[in-house]
Amino acid sequence: MSFSLNEIEATAKRAARGAGYPWGLAEEAAKATRWLAAHDLDACAELAGLLTRIDRVSLADLSPDTNGATWVASGGMLCPLAAGAALSDRAAELSDAGFRLQQVARPALLMPFAALIAQQIGRPVTLRWEGGGAVTDGAALDLSGTAPELAPLVEVTPGGEIGSATPIRSRAQPAPEAWATLNRLAHRTYAPATEESRLKGAGAGLSDND
Amino acid sequence: MDTAPNRQIQRRDPATVMRLSRLGSLHQCRLSFMRILTRRMARENWSFSRPVFGIDAAGVGHAVYTAQGPDRAYSLVAFAHDLPPEMRSDRVIATAWDATFTLFDGIPTEDDIARLSQNVPLQEAGRVSESEISVSRANRSVRLWAHVVDALASGQQPDRAEIDKVGYLMRTTAVYGSGKLGAADREQIADRPEMQVPFQAEMLSVYLTRVFVRDLVQHMARAKGGEGAVDLDPALARRMGIGNSTGLGMAPYIVNHPVLFNNWVMAREEAIARVRSVATASPDAAAQFRQMLRRSEVSLGQWRSEHPIQQAKLADLRRDMEVLSRHVAGDDQLNDHPWDRLMRWAEGALSEEGQELVASLILEPYPDLVDGLASCMADGNPGAFRIDGAMPISELRALIAASYAWAFDLNWTAPENCARAWYVSEEKLEPRLGERFDEPIAEYEQPLAPARDAAAAHAALASWEGSRPVAEFLLAHPEHRHTVRRAQMSRLAPYGEIHDNTISASVLPIDMLRAKLAFFGAIHFDPRSDRWVRICMYAGAPYPEELSPETADDWVYPEVPA
Repeated sequence: MSFSLNEIEATAKRAARGAGYPWGLAEEAAKATRWLAAHDLDACAELAGLLTRIDRVSLADLSPDTNGATWVASGGMLCPLAAGAALSDRAAELSDAGFRLQQVARPALLMPFAALIAQQIGRPVTLRWEGGGAVTDGAALDLSGTAPELAPLVEVTPGGEIGSATPIRSRAQPAPEAWATLNRLAHRTYAPATEESRLKGAGAGLSDND
Repeated sequence: MDTAPNRQIQRRDPATVMRLSRLGSLHQCRLSFMRILTRRMARENWSFSRPVFGIDAAGVGHAVYTAQGPDRAYSLVAFAHDLPPEMRSDRVIATAWDATFTLFDGIPTEDDIARLSQNVPLQEAGRVSESEISVSRANRSVRLWAHVVDALASGQQPDRAEIDKVGYLMRTTAVYGSGKLGAADREQIADRPEMQVPFQAEMLSVYLTRVFVRDLVQHMARAKGGEGAVDLDPALARRMGIGNSTGLGMAPYIVNHPVLFNNWVMAREEAIARVRSVATASPDAAAQFRQMLRRSEVSLGQWRSEHPIQQAKLADLRRDMEVLSRHVAGDDQLNDHPWDRLMRWAEGALSEEGQELVASLILEPYPDLVDGLASCMADGNPGAFRIDGAMPISELRALIAASYAWAFDLNWTAPENCARAWYVSEEKLEPRLGERFDEPIAEYEQPLAPARDAAAAHAALASWEGSRPVAEFLLAHPEHRHTVRRAQMSRLAPYGEIHDNTISASVLPIDMLRAKLAFFGAIHFDPRSDRWVRICMYAGAPYPEELSPETADDWVYPEVPA
């Protein structure tokens, strides 16, 4: 089925919230998913894969310790949303040496954050992992190889050239399983319907016959 | 033209403008989305047609109304239904309606209509495509509909007093746009000149819906009365707008789109500041203001509400109107910054309803100063989402304080300060507001209490050195990320934050609904509860065959009876 990118974004935000992310990171997850979908990637599958893997794990265990030469998570596996947001927040610190991230789940989800960095530094940003990588100038994306479910090491460096950019899409066709996973997680954010809530919560009666 | 040198009056302080009671007292103005649309359609000489009207004697079928602009056409595809009374509800949780609509991007083929007929009547349970821009539905005002059909069927015109009592034959109960239910995203149409201003597609859809409703009521009268039936007197038809029944869903919208909402408020505040800066008004401008004041008195006379809150505000506004009329009669509004003087006088003499009415009315004589600001009302800045992690924490603190210093000392654990929680029900995802301490809803709370969250972030920041970058704070405190984003957005959106507590025991969500609806151009706000409001749109507006540069703008103010 064809979905609007606003539907993708809204569902991604609720799903990330349902999986336990604070609202601010859920917003980043939503924008990131939309960005990937607009760049012709299977965005919902990436987010669904991540959320299934980290569901109910403490965010502190998935977040980077940025003090060393290589960013690592205390729990062993880095969340690409927490790491991506931290990268974008440190765009001004990106030197030619780059950032190195260890054990990144779903590194494809770092690409939208690389775009945010590129927009801030006015130069393209390159991501590299074993078997592939990506370059973005903030708008276009050049993807080479494939993005794994888990990358042992991701290097983030300034520079790079866009060779063949991915097509830009205004709609998305998520795989039904991934879409169902996101909706199942999103459902956790909806309050169960009670008769009291039905009658009082919206502030209107049920009949409109006047 | 005014030629005297102008003293520049500043825009009003967000701390004044963004209080809920004032937002809940806003009135339509030259920058309302409906008036922007009708002005454009008249200026560009849009043409209108009704290529299909396939409705049977029982009132069931479909019709198509096409609006042709300079570059593109848009078509309202309307489906009319025979709705049993027990199914008529204006709630999101309704499943059937008297009429359902979609705004099609272009002119639909028969295949398009066949596809839409399987989906649009289902509303949320159906799917549309990127060829559709909005999806909406409407129910009849049962009493007025029956009266008008019966009168016309028997060869009589309906009673004007009955029409004025309700104001419309149908009221919409939701107008979905921007990608909802599979429709085209806002981004897909935002670059088109006629769609650059917010909500122009939705306003066009409602404009065409009003034409359909007039045609449908005449059709039903003919079906009932046969050759003895008559059409509506055009003057009576013009009095009727389209109603709208709006619930809580709009309140989160203005909190969730701080840059967009800022742009609406800032455009109006800039317009007010420009007009206040006029040193000397021309006699024509002064006369035009006085005329619009008299006409808005007529409109006020037609404004009814059964809700005690609005009744009290209307009583204040009627008193304001008397005081204002006397004051205006004693001043020529020509010299010494007449509009600034009037605004200053109003601050001391009128209620907030009256003050905001004055603020809207002084814009009327100055299209050249005001109307161009319409192009600043869209949110064309997606980069505002990006957090500047290099910002020093001292600067972040100052930004939070600018919007929310008043919230720092509030006891946020006191029940009266956090009595409510906004949530989404699993029942058709209806937005609702509940009692935090009485209902099991807190864990489902939506982030719609920015003041509470700002106070919490500010407290967490207290122990951080001011020179450290925001990035460090956010890594340690990801739970404050959404608040930091909002605070940074406020640099370019000073009117993006509500300066009041949106979860207090005394919050009135209707204030938030009214603010949004006033920018649409709605009038005659009639709250049905503290979180639900009925309004009227396009009452007095010219129908397509009457639309011209002369009729396109002032229609919102009824003519003063001779």
